[in-house]
Amino acid sequence: MSGRKPLLLVGDNPFHGISHLSQERSRTRGDTIGHADFAAGLVMLAVENGADGFMFTASETTLAILEAIRNKGTSKDLRLYPIVPYAYEYVRLATQLGGMSGLARNMAKRVIFSMNMRAMANGLNGVVRMDPAALLKTYVLYEISRIKSKAGRNARLESVLLHEIITEMALALDMDWLIKSYVDFMLKLGITPGFETRNFTYLVAKFRRWNVDFRKVVIATPFNKAGFQMNPSRLDCERALAVVPESNVVAMSILAAGYLKLPEAIEYVQTLSNLKGIVVGVSKERHARETFELLKRRQMNV
Amino acid sequence: MRVMGSKDEGKKEVLDVAVVGLGKMGLLHSCILNVLPNVRLVAVCDKSDLIRRVGKKVFKRARLLDDIDKLADVKVDAVYVTTPIPSHFFIAKALYSKRIAPNLFVEKTLASNYDQAKEMCSLANDSGGVSMVGYMKRFGVTYQKARDLLQEQALGEVDSFDAYAYSSDFAEVKEGSGVAGARGGVLEDLGSHVVDVALWFFGDLEVESALVESVTSEGCEDSASILARGIGELKGRFSISWCKKEYRMPEFGLTVHGSNGVLRVNDDALELDLGKGGLKKWYRHDLNDNVGFLLGAPEYFREDEAFVRSMLGGAVVEPTFLTASKVDYFVEQARTRAGRK
Repeated sequence: MSGRKPLLLVGDNPFHGISHLSQERSRTRGDTIGHADFAAGLVMLAVENGADGFMFTASETTLAILEAIRNKGTSKDLRLYPIVPYAYEYVRLATQLGGMSGLARNMAKRVIFSMNMRAMANGLNGVVRMDPAALLKTYVLYEISRIKSKAGRNARLESVLLHEIITEMALALDMDWLIKSYVDFMLKLGITPGFETRNFTYLVAKFRRWNVDFRKVVIATPFNKAGFQMNPSRLDCERALAVVPESNVVAMSILAAGYLKLPEAIEYVQTLSNLKGIVVGVSKERHARETFELLKRRQMNV
Repeated sequence: MRVMGSKDEGKKEVLDVAVVGLGKMGLLHSCILNVLPNVRLVAVCDKSDLIRRVGKKVFKRARLLDDIDKLADVKVDAVYVTTPIPSHFFIAKALYSKRIAPNLFVEKTLASNYDQAKEMCSLANDSGGVSMVGYMKRFGVTYQKARDLLQEQALGEVDSFDAYAYSSDFAEVKEGSGVAGARGGVLEDLGSHVVDVALWFFGDLEVESALVESVTSEGCEDSASILARGIGELKGRFSISWCKKEYRMPEFGLTVHGSNGVLRVNDDALELDLGKGGLKKWYRHDLNDNVGFLLGAPEYFREDEAFVRSMLGGAVVEPTFLTASKVDYFVEQARTRAGRK
């Protein structure tokens, strides 16, 4: 980890019932973990024990958690790192609404009912010109308004990260114009643009070619001893990280979805001097306490 | 390198590929094809004017077409067909008969019925090109390891298996809404994956009995239970449903019973329980699951890579149309036995 105090974030995967190690395991966790009050308690417990903020995909579940945190009166200075869109929710919605056209109609209604004038103006512009960059801006404005309305004024919206589905598609299809337009738009809003990816090596190569300023963006990507979801390989990702010391990379999946124990996971990420932060999900009070206590203690010894 | 089925005898290092149908799967394959080093995505075809208008902004180097006949002007080596299942047969037939491309990749299932599937096999055979169907579970590391173990007879004599395919896609839709019906039936949509894996593991299977139920609306195929028999004394059971609320993501798996023990495999892990012989478990993490570019799941990248490699190198890639048509046959048998045909 870098010399400065790393950013420690609580992740939300357990709250959505996600386990990348085993879906069976996530089913056996039960429903409690998804309850907003319980999850809000876990987030704030993690904060009390050293976490700086909350990284989450913007969904009904996490918005309810943000509201619960606000209602507990504990949202002051909570730093938020939402990832949008919650792809799972939209794929599911598309299925239930009869495909992409049904989903598009539903989204238009949501934006209109959000009464966010800026989003509506952007959206109209995007629809008229069929401009994906304008449509993305509309969508992001809509999500920001949703998050702010639930989280309240005290919470700090530090960064909005594009979900891996959007990031990987933009990378694969050479959509440099979309990435640049998003970066510019977010910087003008005073929010750090971010990207979630499971193709970190590929992203670094493309962003360098496109002259994206790594100092101005946040990147969340897997780094773990097992090389889990580090594509094309752990070594390639480590090398890519080494060439962008100025980047703001937050390591996710440090436990490789529960495959690794916390001490060995921390030991590995400590060897990566260019990492600027870590995000870890917790599903129990004991996890929340122990995980962030240990992370904080280990980093202080760096 | 000569491309399979091509009339061009000269060497070709880069393949020109088109995608027909720009839904979820079309977009996914387009992205992966675009990052493969020896592929050029030259055309995308979709009937929707809206999709094409957005597509023009996204696919700057590919032609956006509204009709597959126009692909004849583009000169492509291969076409990916990622449209809804009922259209697979008609599109493939047009592509072959108009000699638009000798190599075809069709998303699962191959066709809507076995007669169509047989005709598509015949057309593929005549084209001399590579044919493949998108049964991506075959490219999952846990299933590949499981198959290796079965081939090595790690379980001894296999007696029976239980296979499942569950999702919550339509667990909470309003009764009578009919949205599930618009996606076809659960047998093709979800069940075909696990049927293909079973056929790959155990060889030919025959349906003994089947029960297909409607949950979301009358006439919809929402869940199915199938009893099958295979080579020798092998018995198999399939349980398929897209109305299982507790399954956040679609899940597939098999439990295989043999004379030496039990093997359990799903997308995440593989377990070999040999009783006193010990218990071994492998997660994806243990089985070299990384790929050149991850989108959706690593299986998709491996699948596309294998198809391209086959076109350039001539190696047979599975599942071919012929192999995949066995799934169509099995599904049709299940429907017939359930009195649904």
